[in-house]
Amino acid sequence: MSLVNLAHVCSHLQNASKARLGLTSIPVSKMHVNIALGLQREGFLSSVTLGGSAPPRPFLLQAQADPEQFEKMAETLKVEPWHAYPTEAPTKGKSNTELALGKEQVHEVHVPENPARRRLWLGLKYWQNEPVLKNMKLVSKPTRRIWLTSEDLGRITRTRESSYVKGLTHPGECMFLTTDRGILEARECVERRLGGMALCRVW
Amino acid sequence: MSVCRPARCLFSKATSTALPKPCPQRSFHASAPRPARKKRPHYPSIKADDLKLLNQAAEAEYPKFDTAEITLLEKKYTPSQIAAIKAAESTIDARDVLTQGQRRTDPWLLNYEDDLAQVDPVTDHPEKLGPDDIPGKKTFRLANDVERDEAISRIATENLAKMYPEGLPEGQLDPVDEQKLQDAMEAALSQAALDPRATYTSSNPAALEALADPRHSIVAPDLPRVENRMARQTRRLSTEEEEDPRQKRLLQYLGWDKQKLRTVRVKTLVTHSVTNQTRMGKIRSLYFLTIAGNQDGLLGVGEGKSVEPEEGRKQSVMSAIRNMRPVPRYENRTTFGDLEKKVGATKVQLFSRPPGFGLRVQHLIFELARAAGLQDLSAKTPRSRNKMNVIKATWEALTNQKLPDEIARARGKKLVDVRKVYYGGSIH
Repeated sequence: MSLVNLAHVCSHLQNASKARLGLTSIPVSKMHVNIALGLQREGFLSSVTLGGSAPPRPFLLQAQADPEQFEKMAETLKVEPWHAYPTEAPTKGKSNTELALGKEQVHEVHVPENPARRRLWLGLKYWQNEPVLKNMKLVSKPTRRIWLTSEDLGRITRTRESSYVKGLTHPGECMFLTTDRGILEARECVERRLGGMALCRVW
Repeated sequence: MSVCRPARCLFSKATSTALPKPCPQRSFHASAPRPARKKRPHYPSIKADDLKLLNQAAEAEYPKFDTAEITLLEKKYTPSQIAAIKAAESTIDARDVLTQGQRRTDPWLLNYEDDLAQVDPVTDHPEKLGPDDIPGKKTFRLANDVERDEAISRIATENLAKMYPEGLPEGQLDPVDEQKLQDAMEAALSQAALDPRATYTSSNPAALEALADPRHSIVAPDLPRVENRMARQTRRLSTEEEEDPRQKRLLQYLGWDKQKLRTVRVKTLVTHSVTNQTRMGKIRSLYFLTIAGNQDGLLGVGEGKSVEPEEGRKQSVMSAIRNMRPVPRYENRTTFGDLEKKVGATKVQLFSRPPGFGLRVQHLIFELARAAGLQDLSAKTPRSRNKMNVIKATWEALTNQKLPDEIARARGKKLVDVRKVYYGGSIH
């Protein structure tokens, strides 16, 4: 697991947000995908899509359902809102939700067969003329990995320095770690009492 | 040897004949020797005509007692005392008093002209009376209605008598005088109603009088209004105060009044001279950088430049007040997280700190933090420490903070402040 590629991703995302890009792509790897999903969960990214060298078609340019069908769907949901969460097992290939609301529209994204040609497309966010993701930096370096215990993380998330890692002192700062339960945010690790290798910090 | 001889020597006066004559000395200077000089009187010799005038002035200044005054004196003094006074008067020649009465030159002389005949409320201690000066018992009680009305009418009459020493005007009055009389009566009545002699009563009239006597009051009397040209020129009412047009415009811009403007703390932190090189030569002017803050979350930085120092300073002060922007403060004491700002080659890092930490920052940032009302802060200026850039970078970092609410909004997260939940919400 090289951290060099992650370092490239970090600086690329900083540069892309400085250039006010709406969509950018990074090479695909399991770690990148997990970090991108973590960033999306924390609200730094608007979308994470696997695609080829061409960006995925924007939502508004894809085929839309009829407005009448949308209206019908809205009315159904108003009366029976539980259909928004499909829970029951499908019967005869169709779930109850599908019967009630109609067929769900799935947008096809072309993913190349060749894994080397795949790219991960990330949607960047901006708020009040400011990028949401402004800084992204490696904590562990390719030549110096840093492993943190949950106690260390407790101190770090409370803005204190621990194990030569500076505390999360910027407002809204996040740190991602790779643990034996996957790539998690530092506060989640503290909650679950997990330690791991620090990857990057974002604010 | 006779016994008398030494005694004779002792008692006998050494006469000039007994003394050896001083040998004639050669004088080394042209002026006559001291004994040879004519002795002049201490006062100038006066011509006969002038003396006549002087006599007249002395008569006017120091008149002899006339018969009316003598009769007045006779009431107070015995005939023998009057004779003594007359004898004393006659021994002193008025002309001598006039010509030789000299002004004081000693170091303790007063630096103003005063014959010290009257108590001056400015320079002298006011006359004071204590409880020992009240004869008899010093007990009071609250007056009942009848006594109070009686006292009020009595005091009002006294007051009115003071205002009209020649008695109230009689007969038909013109409207102006009528109005004046009405006002005087009203004033006398209201003064009487407020008088403590009306509220309290005592069996001892001296004690009752002491209540209204200002000499018994522990409150010092007001200083009299000084009436002279200087005082008149310097004294100004608030309405007549000279309006600075720039300040007026600033107040209009801010929508503030003068009272609020006075609460703004202003400090000039950077002053230096700058030169403009023209083909005519160098033009030197002064540059000022001033900060302004209300110590409650408003902070401004202003610059001014002018050939006139005072003008430039004023310019910078006005622009600093006009540029005041809100500084978000966490718990009204520190910043929201760490801040960093770079201006030119200057980088300023500000770190939020726990309560009671204090302002452990360099002097320029300290002034800014104090003006903004921050209490806990530490800072680093790792690169250039150019004063102007440090101030600008700090100001921009403080005013452009990202608030947690906004960050949560941008990330689409829900943020709940739980600080007010615990400890009965006693933490702000």
